[in-house]
Amino acid sequence: MTGYAIVLESARLERLQAVGNIAAIAAASEVPVDIFATMGGLEAFDKERIASMDYEMGEVGQAMMQAEGMEMAMFYENIAQAKELGPLSVYACELSMDMLGKTLDDYHEVFDDVLGVSGFLSHAEDKQVIFV
Amino acid sequence: MSESIQPDVTVDSRGATCPGPLMDLIGKVKKLEPGTVVELLTTDSSSSHDVPEWVDKAGHETLDVVEHEDEGYWSVFIETTK
Repeated sequence: MTGYAIVLESARLERLQAVGNIAAIAAASEVPVDIFATMGGLEAFDKERIASMDYEMGEVGQAMMQAEGMEMAMFYENIAQAKELGPLSVYACELSMDMLGKTLDDYHEVFDDVLGVSGFLSHAEDKQVIFV
Repeated sequence: MSESIQPDVTVDSRGATCPGPLMDLIGKVKKLEPGTVVELLTTDSSSSHDVPEWVDKAGHETLDVVEHEDEGYWSVFIETTK
């Protein structure tokens, strides 16, 4: 096992933040991480979604949004910062984009490429797969 | 011990929540020579525990963790080893 392959399907804020935090620290610590953003997890990176902060969230997420005097980096910011520090790649699900008629330009610039399932599985074959 | 530690570099991450302070520290440490003493300033209590965990796992050395209770922040002193 040489790192983590995270399948990110959820658009729930707490799950997005958790994935961003763990992936960021792992990659910054030189542990290879691939994130495959698919379905709801891909839509969480939509630029309009980010601008409106329209995320499903629970108690922790609401507390995060209302926290005062704290600089809380959002999941896409942690991922973007980590990509400069270590081996972290982010892939967008081709099927999800096709269904919505979108391109990578519609999403935050963290993405390295667009992949189908076979492509992702090739990236994941030597990694521990985590589904979120 | 901490009163005698004179940091070569200070990383001020006060105000940032986890994992911001650790990300800031890692970004800095990667650019430093071995033997550099770094002081990380953080207001995030979880980082005061979590940062030493990373430092030890990464093979660097935690010199001291000092809580500045009145000011509401911690100083985490580390020394790079590689």
